[in-house]
Amino acid sequence: MDCGTCDTAPAIEVIKPEVVDVNLTITEKAIDMLTEAFGDDRSHALLVGVLSGGCSGYMYDLQIVETTDIDCQEIEISGFRVLVPNASSHLLDGIEVDYVDRLMGGGFKINNPNASSSCGCGESFA
Amino acid sequence: MRVFQLDSYVLLLSGKDSLQFIDGLSTNKVEGTCTTVFTKANAKIIDMVEVICVGDNVAIVGHNSFKQDLLEHLNSRILQQDVLLRDISDFNNVFISLDRYPDTKNVTNVETFRGWILVVPKSIPMESTIDEAEFNEHRIQNILPHQGYEITTSNHPFNCGLDHLVHESKGCYVGQEILTRMRSRNNTGKSLILVEGKPEDATTTGKTHSLAIRRN
Repeated sequence: MDCGTCDTAPAIEVIKPEVVDVNLTITEKAIDMLTEAFGDDRSHALLVGVLSGGCSGYMYDLQIVETTDIDCQEIEISGFRVLVPNASSHLLDGIEVDYVDRLMGGGFKINNPNASSSCGCGESFA
Repeated sequence: MRVFQLDSYVLLLSGKDSLQFIDGLSTNKVEGTCTTVFTKANAKIIDMVEVICVGDNVAIVGHNSFKQDLLEHLNSRILQQDVLLRDISDFNNVFISLDRYPDTKNVTNVETFRGWILVVPKSIPMESTIDEAEFNEHRIQNILPHQGYEITTSNHPFNCGLDHLVHESKGCYVGQEILTRMRSRNNTGKSLILVEGKPEDATTTGKTHSLAIRRN
């Protein structure tokens, strides 16, 4: 393979949708669970992002992070720092982070008005 | 040595999330060099590709007529992941060798279920030693699908002999729900078979036999 020229080959332009200021809400139940997870430590933040993959093409990515290299916008909700990557802001505007308490399929759940469909487990959407 | 030039594109992905990115969107478990299939949500094929690890980069080799659809599929899904896509098709030719091909300097040589895929810099002269008819005869004898014949955007992987590229236990990917349901219900529909003569529904015709996609 000619990799001598690979570095000089032009990168394919990636479709970059416009960055939007994300409006995000967290339900009371989810706040309770975050309080349990974070304790009194507010040095960390909840990162809510989107990765490619999942049955429907996009997959939610929830992480607790101290810092990140990802270009993010920061929102403060009930004393929690929430980070949303600008690259996926168009997919996350208007979402509600909820917590569902059940034996199977329980955990944090995202209700997304931008999703035209989602898979059975709720982790991915289109 | 039976070597045939393929009408292929070569994309180069760089960035630490490259393999995970391909894995999340295709049917096989992608942990390194392998063959996999990108499918749409309805499980129809976008393209079958060779994934080839080259140092820190990952190359994807697919069929030219499906390149644009695959690029659109990939392009809109690179969000916060560390993935950079380059098109290096102009610098390389792609061949398939039907016989084990010796290691050759600067030639990327990967064994696949179809034969040995060779990615050859254009600066190295290489030509096909067999024509398309001979390549097709080999495919017919070995029931090997090829893009544009059996591997088309109107088929899903089970239809066209790519069952082995649909991993049985990997997690979600686009099209997975349908493929898993078909497999678990033992209802994978039509499949690729060897038939005698040149029937009307043949996808590839040879001298005495053909390939066809028919209901089991």
